[in-house]
Amino acid sequence: MLRNGAVALAGGTDLVGLMKDGLARPQSLVDLTGIEGLRGWSHAKGRGLRIGALTPLVELETSDALAKTMPILRESLRDAATVQLRTMGTVGGNLLQRNRCWYFRDEGTVCWLKGGNRCFAIDGENRYHAIIGAQECVSVSPSDLVPALLAYDAEIALTSSRGTRRMKLADLFITPHGKERREHSLRAGELITEVRVPEAALARRGTYLKAMDRKAWSFALVSVAAAAKIERGVARDVRLILGGVAPVPWRVIAAEKGLEGSTLDDASCSDAADRLLAGATPLRDNGYKVTLARELVRRALRSLVA
Amino acid sequence: MPRVVKSREEFEGEIFESLVLVEGKDLPLHAAGTEFTEISKSRRRVDGVQRVTGRARFTQDVYPPGMLYVRVLRSPYPRARVRRIDTKKAEKLPGVRDVLHRFNAPKAAYRGDDTIFREEVRFVGEEVAAVAADDEQTAVEALRLIEVDYELLPHVVDLEEAIGGMAPSLDPDGNVAEAATHKRGDAKRALKEADFVVDATYRTSTQIHNSLETHGAVATWDGDQLTVYESTQHVFGVRQGLKTALKLPFSKIRVLCDYMGGGFGSKGSVGKHSIIASLFTMRLGRPVRCVLTREEENIAAGNRSATLQQMRIGGKGGRITALEHTSWANVGQGKWVANPTGPTNTLYDIANLSSKSFKVVTNAGSLAAFRAPGYVEGTFALESAIDELADKMGVDPLTLRRKHAASPKDPMVGKKYSDKHLIECYRIGAAEIGWQRRRSGGIRGSAPHRRRGIGMATQIWGGGGGPPAYATVHVNPDGTVVLTTGSQDIGTGTRTVLAQICADELGVDLDDVQVRLGDTDSPYGPISAGSLTTASVGPAVRIAARDAKEQLLGAAAGVLETPKAELRLEGGVVVTKGARTPLSEILGKVDNNTVIGKGGRHPNNPELSLRTFGAHFAEVEVDVRTGEITVEHIVAVHDIGRIINPTTARSQVEGGVLQALGFALSEERFLDRATGRVMNANLENYKVPTVRDVPAKITVKFVDRPDRKANNLGAKGLGEPPIIPTAAAIANAVANATGARVRHAPLTRARVLEALAIAGARS
Amino acid sequence: MPPLTSAGRAVLRGPGATDVALVVNGESVTVHTAPRRTLLDTLRETLALTGTKKVCDEGTCGACTVLVDGRPVYSCMTFAVACEGKAIETIEGIAKDGELHPVQRAFIDADAFQCGFCTPGQIMSIVALLRENAGPTEEDVRRAVAGNLCRCGAYPNIVKAGVSAGRRKS
Repeated sequence: MLRNGAVALAGGTDLVGLMKDGLARPQSLVDLTGIEGLRGWSHAKGRGLRIGALTPLVELETSDALAKTMPILRESLRDAATVQLRTMGTVGGNLLQRNRCWYFRDEGTVCWLKGGNRCFAIDGENRYHAIIGAQECVSVSPSDLVPALLAYDAEIALTSSRGTRRMKLADLFITPHGKERREHSLRAGELITEVRVPEAALARRGTYLKAMDRKAWSFALVSVAAAAKIERGVARDVRLILGGVAPVPWRVIAAEKGLEGSTLDDASCSDAADRLLAGATPLRDNGYKVTLARELVRRALRSLVA
Repeated sequence: MPRVVKSREEFEGEIFESLVLVEGKDLPLHAAGTEFTEISKSRRRVDGVQRVTGRARFTQDVYPPGMLYVRVLRSPYPRARVRRIDTKKAEKLPGVRDVLHRFNAPKAAYRGDDTIFREEVRFVGEEVAAVAADDEQTAVEALRLIEVDYELLPHVVDLEEAIGGMAPSLDPDGNVAEAATHKRGDAKRALKEADFVVDATYRTSTQIHNSLETHGAVATWDGDQLTVYESTQHVFGVRQGLKTALKLPFSKIRVLCDYMGGGFGSKGSVGKHSIIASLFTMRLGRPVRCVLTREEENIAAGNRSATLQQMRIGGKGGRITALEHTSWANVGQGKWVANPTGPTNTLYDIANLSSKSFKVVTNAGSLAAFRAPGYVEGTFALESAIDELADKMGVDPLTLRRKHAASPKDPMVGKKYSDKHLIECYRIGAAEIGWQRRRSGGIRGSAPHRRRGIGMATQIWGGGGGPPAYATVHVNPDGTVVLTTGSQDIGTGTRTVLAQICADELGVDLDDVQVRLGDTDSPYGPISAGSLTTASVGPAVRIAARDAKEQLLGAAAGVLETPKAELRLEGGVVVTKGARTPLSEILGKVDNNTVIGKGGRHPNNPELSLRTFGAHFAEVEVDVRTGEITVEHIVAVHDIGRIINPTTARSQVEGGVLQALGFALSEERFLDRATGRVMNANLENYKVPTVRDVPAKITVKFVDRPDRKANNLGAKGLGEPPIIPTAAAIANAVANATGARVRHAPLTRARVLEALAIAGARS
Repeated sequence: MPPLTSAGRAVLRGPGATDVALVVNGESVTVHTAPRRTLLDTLRETLALTGTKKVCDEGTCGACTVLVDGRPVYSCMTFAVACEGKAIETIEGIAKDGELHPVQRAFIDADAFQCGFCTPGQIMSIVALLRENAGPTEEDVRRAVAGNLCRCGAYPNIVKAGVSAGRRKS
């Protein structure tokens, strides 16, 4: 059914907003919410965690069983949006939400990402924008859930009339550049059906920290998901992902590798932050994000061994 | 017989003189020791059931049959000439009934222009055309079909750019105009002679009202009579504006506002939306609704001006000896300025003082009064500067203030205050916050990277109210009462406190009093603004209730055949020496009757200065590595005369504190300089406080002594005082905690981290 | 995962107005509405249930909160057609037999509103909370209404009302 300008609609918390702002004009909508099979999660020991793409976020947040299996999910969702939006919004929709740049969201501004010829934020009002990794567009990745899932090596399953495929969740996100003005690598007619977290990753300790400019109901200024296997005070398989700082969830393998085998002491945390933020080029109004990111990284890593 | 007298009132920091009509004599203040039945008692809101059941009817909820929807085409450019408008395509869209724009709209006087669709549009969001259609969607689609030929003109939206020499001049006299000035003593010399001087620049960002109910009107023309439901703080003000614009007599215009979803100053008069709705209904003969969207509300319905303020303050011998304050305010396309130097001029007894307030016009939406306009901005600068000076002098900032806060005389106008208990506010506040715990350099917080600090700031404001304000009290034959006045309840509890005043004076049960507000077919009620309602309308209600009571006792004397002097009215019962007769029984014996009591507000004593005072104390914790501020405790102490309803008064203070918290920490409009567009005309990125931002503790205290010289209730206003000093108290607490002085509100993480870096580099 | 094709039958609606069967405050109603009309507009304009307020119309304020199958949602971001057959509860439906709901009563007692415009949404959020958690703490209430903005600043009293309504109910 997802043909000829048809767009899939789940919780609607992003798509309906895009439609109201004139940023999405779907010919028709396909309401997915009746598909019971894509709702809910399961964890079979040894086979990893599977989460249906149509699972409302609130179900992941409130399940005590899931909080035992993968505590970071509750941690990342508790301060994500609001109860109402977590009730309506689904996992798949969360992964596919578009950025919140106020130039992008302004119907009256034709920015580069919308096919215009320049990014207005670079020389404009940019306190919420990217400090690193951006090319033509300095919007940031807004999801709270995504960094948490990435810290656990999540994969997604996709389906379309052409068949199904799987990929790393990280590969879903695109830094818009050149002719590529999408934020997601989803193909036409494709749906996300499932998120999978490998069993090995579930052994990690993880934490999610988020800085906002009020105490609730804000997208992250900076967020960090950190996870590692802690064996006798030493970290293995470290994952470190930043949200709110780059057009995609921000990860630097070298920063993680540098922590391999460390006790996550202050010096190694600081070193990891250096590597993670090397090459950061803040804009006029967002230099504070660098300070924030460094501190959140330190706190998140320290908390893994606390 | 009514007579004309001169009156002199303060309104939002300005003094006005006028002639008013009064009748009879004012009532004296209640004798000391009076046992009230309703006044000073905590009461639930009389309209609570309406508000919690969804039955309260707001303007947005008015849907007359056959109603048309209006949408407004607004300028996408900050400055442009509208050369041509082609509406043919829009008019052909099925469901479109009419389009208005500058080439076809009738003349309508509005704020100095003779049209509501100006040839030169001067901010993004200015009205260019309007469409009336059968439904909202059609009206929205029609807007897209209107073709406008704009000639773009150079613009400026930023305050500091508009002051600078490179900006285009938007006014023949330039962008900057002096709006107010005050001088006493010789500040220049005193600054030279001072031992300590602070010379600092403060900034406050544009705050947007974001009343949850947007501005809106639903207008109906029946061929003869125009009826307009309006979300307004002043039905009579809207009527006046419609008369001016439409040239109809008052008798043909009725403005109604039953329930109202917040105004905070921005809904004080007629808006273009009200005139547009009226013009359409008069052309088309169908009811017309023009209710703004959230975005329209935030680009075109007013804001609190951004300010740039320079303070020079000098100290010597443990006292403040000199104060210079210069302020520039970005009024957008506004025609007035909310003066930030008001508190500087009036708050402290400082001998050498000079202040200047400049209005700066830009291509941004007009300012509108916003809860203590000017005073919130000015108090932030003044009270921050005083703390900076105290720091430099090495004295306790509260001690320094006390030395200048005790005077019984208004230092600006030289008149005696009717009453003043500011020192008492300091005493109560200091005790509640535990001021003795305050240490220079702050105290340890709940974690190593968290610092804790305490700060305070002072509030001065008007709130004395005054005439004109009228009320009538109808008593029905069953003893129930209808109190009518053309005031409004904008959420402050006006219905409730007026019912209490009426029931108390009349001697009936609160439940038997119905209050009818928000209708221009009533006795005149003033604007619900300037913290004036209780002090203006309350005394009139009391007189009306007394008038009705005298008539009722006269009637009772006749029915009971007892001298009137031996009768009392208590709880709806007429009490004589030996008997208790319900009012309903007495009135029931007289053939159908209506007893009507009338009352009007009498003038204030022109020899006195009527002011409210208060102090806020803040305790905060600052995460010095992330710049996050957590406000732990606010103590708010206010001296506003007698408290009529402690419950609603407390709510009012908490509300003011929380709106101030937004101003202090998170609320800020972002305008793109290149395009003039408001980037956060929404509730996602314009950050009003959420429930989780509320301080762990808010302590509310009142001096609660009647101001014996203010009016017959001894009560003054409370709408604005609680928003005035909070931001400065928080900034002072942050500085105390960390040594970092943030001179720009709101104190966002970016600004806090920057100030911390500067403070760290210094130490 | 089961194959997608087994997931119920697809119904084609629009582009014109369509009949939608809703259960609103316990009563079955059929509304004739455009497929992309929000539940909020349908409630307010088609069903004359104006207690649910429109403030932002883009899912950022909570004033339009209603319950769909017992869960709080923003009705401004929900299409009415997506609620076919679902139970919708609004502020008009929670008082039973002329008796105010305990949350409504608690709001009056705690002075938990000033202008009252956000109040219906606040109340619906707390009604939903109490069904999951009959004795909420202050923190529980804060989390439940963090998506309901109040510009008058009635928050401290809203939290008190939520906690005391829980005590009354349980």
